[in-house]
Amino acid sequence: MPNAVEFLQSVVNGIGVGLIYGLVGIGFCVIYNASGIVNFAQGVFVMLGGMVCQVLLAQLGIPLVLAVALTIPLVAISGMIMELAIVRPMMHRGATLFAIILATLAAQIMIERIVLLTLGDRPRTFSEFTPGGPLKIGDVAIGYQLFWILGCGAFLVLLLWLFFTRTRTGRALRACSQNREAAQLLGIPVSHMMLVAFALSAALGAVAGILVTPTQYTAYNVGTPFGVNGFIAAIIGGFGRAGGALAGGLLLGVLQALAIVALGAGFKNVAALSVLLVVLLLFPNGLFAGFGSKAKAH
Amino acid sequence: MALLSVREETMRFGGLFANQSISFDVEEGELLAVIGPNGAGKTTLFNVISGFFPPTSGSIHFDGEDITGASAHHVASSGLVRTYQLVQLFKHLTVAENVEIGSHRVTRGSVFSALFRPEWMRRQEKAVCEGARELLRFVGLEDQADVQADKLPYGRQRLLEVARALAAKPRLLLLDEPAAGLNTQETEALAEVITRIHRAGTTIILIEHDMSLVMKIAQRIVVLDFGKKIAEGTPEEIKAHPDVIAAYLGGTEMTDA
Amino acid sequence: MTSHATISIEPVGVRWQSMLPPLAVLALAGLGLLSSDYVVTVLGFAFIYAIFCTGLNFFMGYTGQASFGQSAFAAIGGYGSAILCADYGWEPLLALLFTMAISGVAAVFVGYPTLRLRGHYLAMATFALGLIVYEISIEWTSLTQGYMGYSGVPPLGIAGFDLVTVKQQLVALAVVALFGVFVAARLRQSRFGRALASIAGSEPAARALGVDIARYKLIAFVIGALYASAAGSLFAHFVGFISPEVFGVTMVVQSFAMLYLGGIGTMWGPTIGAVIVSVLPEALRGLKEMQDIAYTAILIFILIFAPRGLAGLSALFKRDRAQTREGA
Repeated sequence: MPNAVEFLQSVVNGIGVGLIYGLVGIGFCVIYNASGIVNFAQGVFVMLGGMVCQVLLAQLGIPLVLAVALTIPLVAISGMIMELAIVRPMMHRGATLFAIILATLAAQIMIERIVLLTLGDRPRTFSEFTPGGPLKIGDVAIGYQLFWILGCGAFLVLLLWLFFTRTRTGRALRACSQNREAAQLLGIPVSHMMLVAFALSAALGAVAGILVTPTQYTAYNVGTPFGVNGFIAAIIGGFGRAGGALAGGLLLGVLQALAIVALGAGFKNVAALSVLLVVLLLFPNGLFAGFGSKAKAH
Repeated sequence: MALLSVREETMRFGGLFANQSISFDVEEGELLAVIGPNGAGKTTLFNVISGFFPPTSGSIHFDGEDITGASAHHVASSGLVRTYQLVQLFKHLTVAENVEIGSHRVTRGSVFSALFRPEWMRRQEKAVCEGARELLRFVGLEDQADVQADKLPYGRQRLLEVARALAAKPRLLLLDEPAAGLNTQETEALAEVITRIHRAGTTIILIEHDMSLVMKIAQRIVVLDFGKKIAEGTPEEIKAHPDVIAAYLGGTEMTDA
Repeated sequence: MTSHATISIEPVGVRWQSMLPPLAVLALAGLGLLSSDYVVTVLGFAFIYAIFCTGLNFFMGYTGQASFGQSAFAAIGGYGSAILCADYGWEPLLALLFTMAISGVAAVFVGYPTLRLRGHYLAMATFALGLIVYEISIEWTSLTQGYMGYSGVPPLGIAGFDLVTVKQQLVALAVVALFGVFVAARLRQSRFGRALASIAGSEPAARALGVDIARYKLIAFVIGALYASAAGSLFAHFVGFISPEVFGVTMVVQSFAMLYLGGIGTMWGPTIGAVIVSVLPEALRGLKEMQDIAYTAILIFILIFAPRGLAGLSALFKRDRAQTREGA
């Protein structure tokens, strides 16, 4: 049986990872709301965020702030390319839903292979934003990076909220998510909005990737687990609601951390995927569907 | 005993009554029309009868069997077959294959008989094929048998949907606004086909907007308004019924539309 | 939500044209017999994938559903056959049939709740299934030997006659692949197959004609799983070695590339696609490292510009011919 310290420690670890899942989950929601499509390549943005930032830091030796400032737009551009080159032409030609999903999945594998070919399969990491630590509270250790994750996570959510409520583009995006045809009739450039959504969603993934890499590592193939976990977070939160996705991510992260203590690290992905299936089958509208409806209304 | 009997059928969506305590019977061999202004609850009534959703309360009996809340495919396999207001063809298949699928209810066999094709299966396939051709002749589509269904002009798609439903040898055929979107000429051709189906002994319930069509071919009419049955009778009785006149002329049509 | 694949159906009658694809497959196998063992290996993979894709086509093409996790059943077949034959000395054929039965039962249990889902949820749930089996094949090392993979799987054989050379095995694979297509075609051209096609066409209409949708979807899913399982077993015997990577996400994407290239929903599309996608990278030597990039690029290109694959192309020619005939 895990003791109290182990329990608390895994809750702390879980919150950090869970916030990351939540950010990826929000990324799913942003694209889904704007286009009605689930982008199976969402996890690849997390991978790219970590990889690009590490390369900039290690190869070019530029300071962290600059590296982050470069990484986020670069990854956002990759998202825009995905929209312009794959999703838009397919929607234009009336491709089936499954075909579009498949194309995004193929895009993920293609990007992974390109990264593998150019950067190799060596896992990479970079140091935490603030050296030192961890902070000890009793026997529970809290790495400084967790505070960065929490702080940036909260800041991002605030920014997103401001974006969706205070800016023209944000409001237009929300209008698209409620009714695409009506939004089109109101003169909102819907296809332009999809481009914004892909850029935003990719940027969110990049931030998640940059934040999480110091606590573990990044490699060409870390995208799928992040993507799947982010999707689970979005599902738990009742797909399409940003707040729900964040809460779902936290719940999933903590559950997973506890499962690692109880079952060992090996089967953590199996556990997460099983959670996904159970949630899909039993709560097709998400665990927080009841709570979320209020959030969506305003 | 009536072939179909609907008793106190009520369907509520949230606080809204789409159907409220509707009761009526359909006798074997009858052609009954259900009319009413837009939003009167006609299609909801069809959806409930054909098992697409269970009624909030009330019961539906078909051929003596209680089919209240039974699944749609179960209702269909017991012989109550419907068509849709918006044509629902198998667009990617040929016209003939659409009709062949219609015979699902009256044929049998699954994976093993498909694989080993015993004698009865081959006979059945032949019968299905010939039956489909015959039905296509019946509705006048025999020349388009090998055309992909969505290549047909709209009016003919309607006829195809009717032929497909007939392939199921329905004991009761529900036609949901079969004339919607048809021009006068096409409507006349359709009326003629419906009359022939009826004469051949099939019981029919028809939802229709086109009054002239209804008055011409229906034997009995049920009128719905705001989810309630407001009248029932022969075309002559309905024409003279004060409530019906009020419903149609009293402005509900406009407020509902 | 309408979310079914485009489908075209071959004519039912036997014409001389319909004999061309099986003859082509046999000719390929014959060509393989005259070539190096390397060519034989490539063709062998193509036929194994043809079996896998024919099963996938059953569920996706004919029935209009989606499964992104068929690799799970290939893994069950592959590992099942490997373990039963290498560790317990089973007859390969018996192990193949036994693991198919296991996959079928697994498909019933998994499919029954999962197939109620639609659209994205169905895609993600099936994708998760594939990932779960993949993770298990990595982590359950006492059974699967993890990343190291499982080696020493004996070649195919029937009642003591082992097919020792790869060429003998190639002939066996070609026969099995043809048999797989034959079975699929028979099933499609029947009351059962028409019921599946009706689900792909319009679920409301299918229900209104008395088709029990849930039941038929499940049967189609199980049939797809049986094909996948057989393909997995055959792979294990043909190569003699399997590892988790064989049944990973790459397998899913590769099989989709084949299915869409050849033409989803057609009788011979999966086989044609499997042969082309398997042989093409070999023809373009030096692309070795770029293979996966090539697959994904081909797949995306087809999905955008020719969602009906080569079959759509041939239909185009047919229509042109028909029109010229009408015009004349």
